[in-house]
Amino acid sequence: MANAFVSNQSLPDFSLWEKLVDKRTLCSFELEFTARCNLNCRHCYINLPAGDRKARSNELAFDQISRIADEAVSLGAIWCLLNGGEPLLREDFFDIFTALKKKGLLVTVFTNGTLISDRHVQFFKHYPPRDIEMTVYGVTQTTYERITRRPGSYRAFRHGLDLLLSSGIQVTLKAMAMQSNYHEMADISRFCLQYGSRDYRFDPFLHLRYDNDANRNREIIAERLSPEQIITLEESEPSRLEGLRHARIFPGDPGSAKPDVYRIFGCGIGKENCCVSSSGMFSFCSSLRHPDCVYDLKNGSLKEAWEILFPKIRNMRSSRKVYIDNCAECPIINLCRWCPALAHLETGSLDLPVEYFCQTAHDRAKTLKVDQELYKIKIS
Amino acid sequence: MSPKINLDHIYCQSPDVVSREIEGTIVIIPITAGIGDLENELFSLNDTGKVLWHKLDGTRTLKEIVIELEDQFQSLPEIIEKDVVGLLTELLKRQLILDKSEG
Repeated sequence: MANAFVSNQSLPDFSLWEKLVDKRTLCSFELEFTARCNLNCRHCYINLPAGDRKARSNELAFDQISRIADEAVSLGAIWCLLNGGEPLLREDFFDIFTALKKKGLLVTVFTNGTLISDRHVQFFKHYPPRDIEMTVYGVTQTTYERITRRPGSYRAFRHGLDLLLSSGIQVTLKAMAMQSNYHEMADISRFCLQYGSRDYRFDPFLHLRYDNDANRNREIIAERLSPEQIITLEESEPSRLEGLRHARIFPGDPGSAKPDVYRIFGCGIGKENCCVSSSGMFSFCSSLRHPDCVYDLKNGSLKEAWEILFPKIRNMRSSRKVYIDNCAECPIINLCRWCPALAHLETGSLDLPVEYFCQTAHDRAKTLKVDQELYKIKIS
Repeated sequence: MSPKINLDHIYCQSPDVVSREIEGTIVIIPITAGIGDLENELFSLNDTGKVLWHKLDGTRTLKEIVIELEDQFQSLPEIIEKDVVGLLTELLKRQLILDKSEG
């Protein structure tokens, strides 16, 4: 009889999710805690020096974060991702993490792990995060520190990881694939599977800086894998390739509803999550930094942002010929990393093709043996 | 072993959980470790459980709550009492509530 009153269900099976499927409800939000980082990774799209005073002075204060989180909770949010930069750099990390938990949020932390101390371990044992995710840049000191450009960081990372694991705190491990660690990706994969708590994943796409720093962007581009290298990595993981095969849904497939191809945001943007930058700019995706697609939460509420920006973004359309010809009706768009947010970072426009993404998508199509009559490269 | 529920005791929601109502569903989210069997779980209550949950504010005995529920649900006192004790046993076992009378 008692079981009819109360039930405990695992998160993926929780019955509430079924009620939310067809609704536009804020379920999760990403809080970019700081843009500062103690590492100086050569591929990073956001990192500013740990002591950067301007960045620090622009960061949301505790009260502002608390107010934004209250608003997110009132809209239904149940998950919060604390991201950075390196979130553990902030001195008020513990206070903010605790405050978010006490608001009834499940909090995930993305950290490089190098600052994890006994204090963090004791804290996380008492206030368990939903998850801790760390990126493994390399499994040798040489490779790891070639990317982070901080001597001693590999040792600090291993120490932090060991502290967490030896205390029974689970960590999800993942990787970014780039030229500096390409040779080590198989070992990184093994390491992540051995020590990580969930499925390992890697991301082979390095996107450009939010601050548009030209020198840093050159470094990022130099670290990018070629389409051939990306395919080689993907072929080494059959499940990943299989996932791409299933993603291969052509807009023109028989039986599929023809989407509004002139609408540039074809994803589920704005349906269930949002992001808040370290300086308080609201957007529906952490990569979406176009001035027409953000809302300043220092001068407005999250509820306003959630309601005002959505129709504006959903109705953004493009009739630019180069977009229509290359992306809008591309039959292999689902194999492509292209999206308006990344297009803006790459080109300055939300609706311009990105040749690197295009080339990779076509190489993927060849690997998956997609009928070449269906598509052709038009960018020249 | 199941904890014993005393109708003369005052029970309240644990300060180590947060309850939220989302789309009509009461979701009970643990703040600290050790609540429930697994960290990867959330708790929810059915409609009757929801009514009782809101009454567990630490201001009245369980007997007083049972009388309120009898009026509210127009049901036999023994049935209400049995259900309430059943639910409280589950909530106490999972540390979602505290027995204030035990200090």
